[in-house]
Amino acid sequence: MAAPQTVPCVNINDEVVQVVGINVKPGDFVKTGDVIGAVETDKSLLDVVAEQDGYVLRIECQPEQKVRVGSVMFWFGNAPDEPVPEEALAAPQAASQGGQPTAKARVMLNELGLDPARIPQSGERLTVADIETWLAGAGKGRSTSAPPPAPTMPEDSPSVPGTLEELSLEAAGMLNTVSWHRDRAAAAYLEMEYDPKPWEEHAARYATEQKLMLSPLLPLMAFRLAVLGRERPMINATIVGNQRYQYGALNLGFTVQVGEMLYLTVVRDAQDMDAARFIGALGEVQRHAMGHRLPAKEATGATLSFSSMARWNVSRHIPILPPYTSLIVAHAAPRGTGSALLGASYDHRLLTGFAVAQVLQALSQPPA
Amino acid sequence: MNLHRDEIKTALRAKVVDLARAIHLDASALTDDDILPATGLLDSNAILELVVWFETTYDFPIKQEEINIDNLGSINAMADFLLSRKR
Repeated sequence: MAAPQTVPCVNINDEVVQVVGINVKPGDFVKTGDVIGAVETDKSLLDVVAEQDGYVLRIECQPEQKVRVGSVMFWFGNAPDEPVPEEALAAPQAASQGGQPTAKARVMLNELGLDPARIPQSGERLTVADIETWLAGAGKGRSTSAPPPAPTMPEDSPSVPGTLEELSLEAAGMLNTVSWHRDRAAAAYLEMEYDPKPWEEHAARYATEQKLMLSPLLPLMAFRLAVLGRERPMINATIVGNQRYQYGALNLGFTVQVGEMLYLTVVRDAQDMDAARFIGALGEVQRHAMGHRLPAKEATGATLSFSSMARWNVSRHIPILPPYTSLIVAHAAPRGTGSALLGASYDHRLLTGFAVAQVLQALSQPPA
Repeated sequence: MNLHRDEIKTALRAKVVDLARAIHLDASALTDDDILPATGLLDSNAILELVVWFETTYDFPIKQEEINIDNLGSINAMADFLLSRKR
């Protein structure tokens, strides 16, 4: 009997992914583990591997198509001419109502005061995409064989003539992140001046002792932030609804610019690491980012973050809070005076300026 | 893939020059024995980019613990490291 394989989840925050490639065609025989395609989001590229041995019966998508996570991607069978169930060949599941919303959808429903029973859902569960579609009064998904319809100009557009264009996945991802910062967090920023020399000397000594080829300055500062996160759990938390959500793990986010792409790489479970292990782990995820091959677990789930623009001589920057984080530290290049700024964007719904200032003061000095 | 030592070094040197140029530095005078981190031409980010490019171009994975001066500290060291792994 024909068996489906569904679109994998790449990042837990993404409900739609883009098909990058399909490596098989109907009639091909695949074995479990064979790479049969690839999908991507704004942050990650993921090989799709066959979950079973069998013949490819039907492929439900094509490259460059955006598909919903969990929808059927392939059909496999024991024989190349095995029929795919008739109901699977029908039009996409008709909208139904009343399914259990996803966690993100529940948050959105609460914030907007919407009744989920009024909103058609396109899958087994009500998703953020379903809500947004309902709010926009949009129609069904576009045909993959026709170009997308030109977006209609919303009422609040600029007065200067121009054209609307679809965002790339990367741009859409950045929009989502910035929108969370703007719409959910009560984002604030503060900074303090400090003398970077003690940290530079500490990093140089560490590099000599450990015979490192790369400067450990930023990894050591990020590790220090992780240690502070263990000591001050409030900065490793976020707000959900009107409650504090205390993270069980400390996943340190670290920004990496690769060409035009800005990644927030994630070292998971940093709370269990010593400095050497953290530096090694951070080096690995940075390399994955530079090769544009970050797996989902290294691109998602940051609970506390660190960003530096020092390599471009930027002396001050105000970073955007990654979704569901309350603090991101901003490291910058020393100024002409020799001092430097250490800043932080923070969610004032959870953290006070005093608490953040204390963190920055502790971070401005290397460990004794 | 060309595994001739001189060709490898030429490609490496060109990549180093590219990476240095991206942060507005001129690496054209770099010698094959200059210790890359000590030249100041490449910061840590750029060195990691060089390592990733090296792995990808010559199809040989490098473990994190192999990223050290002995293996990758200079153009000569990198070429020797690659050739020793490919034999």
